[in-house]
Amino acid sequence: MDQAVAPVTLAPKDYKSALKPVWCPGCGDFAVLNAITKALAFMGLPRENVALISGIGCSSRIAAYTSVYGFHGVHGRALALASGLKSARPDLNVLVAGGDGDGLSIGGNHFIHACRRNMDMTYIIMDNEVYGMTKGQASPTTAPDWADSKLTPHGTGIRPFQPAGLALTAGASFIARGFTGDPNGLAKILVAAIEHKGFSFVQALSPCPTFRPEQMQWKRHVKAFEAETTRNPIEAAQRIQADDGMSTGIIFRNEYPVFRPGSGIDKGMGAIESEFTI
Amino acid sequence: MSIAKKMTDLDTFLTYSVALEEEAAERHDELADMMDVHNNPEVAETFRKLAHYSRLHAGEIRDQAKGRDLPVIAPWDFGWEGMEGPETGDISDVNYLMTTGHALKIAMGNEQRAHDFYFEISKDSPDPDVRDIAAEFADEEKEHLELLEKWLENHPGSEDEAPYDPDPPHMPE
Repeated sequence: MDQAVAPVTLAPKDYKSALKPVWCPGCGDFAVLNAITKALAFMGLPRENVALISGIGCSSRIAAYTSVYGFHGVHGRALALASGLKSARPDLNVLVAGGDGDGLSIGGNHFIHACRRNMDMTYIIMDNEVYGMTKGQASPTTAPDWADSKLTPHGTGIRPFQPAGLALTAGASFIARGFTGDPNGLAKILVAAIEHKGFSFVQALSPCPTFRPEQMQWKRHVKAFEAETTRNPIEAAQRIQADDGMSTGIIFRNEYPVFRPGSGIDKGMGAIESEFTI
Repeated sequence: MSIAKKMTDLDTFLTYSVALEEEAAERHDELADMMDVHNNPEVAETFRKLAHYSRLHAGEIRDQAKGRDLPVIAPWDFGWEGMEGPETGDISDVNYLMTTGHALKIAMGNEQRAHDFYFEISKDSPDPDVRDIAAEFADEEKEHLELLEKWLENHPGSEDEAPYDPDPPHMPE
């Protein structure tokens, strides 16, 4: 006789692995880990139904610190790996995480195409405006006058990417910004992002206490976006441009066609072969 | 509306209290892990003890709530006055070279905020039962604060100074 199995209720800590993070004390990435585990526990997602894919960098170590399926991939290729996984296992909740360098420089091309492709996954960029693992070089989100790296002693002189603006231009259907000083607020954003059907992008402002100690003051500058989430990309663009990059909340959310293998024009092999028939 | 005014019944108050203590315990554990990984065993042990005490307090509150149907509140819906619960230490306040004195100072700040939280409820909650139990909890937090003060007396010295790092983060040439 079949016995009824009571549903297992998991707490946030149940989504953490036994590994202790090697991040520097005070690193914002701890709060991203907390926010992810709180979001998964709130949603009651079974661990075997979630996969966390990451690239390379301090923040990309996060895959090892959770108890869901994980893959610590190659530099800048987390989204490519995640797209492959989502194609093969569309039933999984696929989360992707990495840093600003991994996602916007080495993986920049994958990022813009993931935005427009709109596969159903959530991408978290843990943005500390620096390459931390290689000991503090300017990244694509570093201000042009940051001169604390000996590689760029006078700053880069190059205007930084605005991740939210880039995602909007590339066609992302969900764009949000959170702050690691507010892990509960970030968890709320992540729940909305995971529930969103399509590609959801979350920029998590995550201070680096070691190479950007001045970022520890972000907690004094971060505030919530005053306006409600918009589904109008023009309004979203204006909001992003007018902001100083320190406002948090869900900026833009809309429903676009979700890509999955076979959801585009699929002629089938027979039709393709017939085109080559002489 | 102040958080104290939201404490209109005992179930809500106990849910907040359990969350406050459990969140504090998890943060202390997290800070202990950071110190373990960065080879600061003395401070790791201090944070581990603080986690233990927070967990004991959470357990006591859970015992008091036995048989009650506590509401489920999402972490972001508590509406704490800060970004996290009042007894949760700020993750950005730690350093791998911190001393036990630093850790105890952080813990004292946490206990003071927890005391103020309960004290405000003991004055302003619309429910008399909540006011009574909040006053008890405020007294307990005050006792914790006094215990920490005594503990700190055994670790005098550098707690107000920034840790000196003889080998600071290295920027490549």
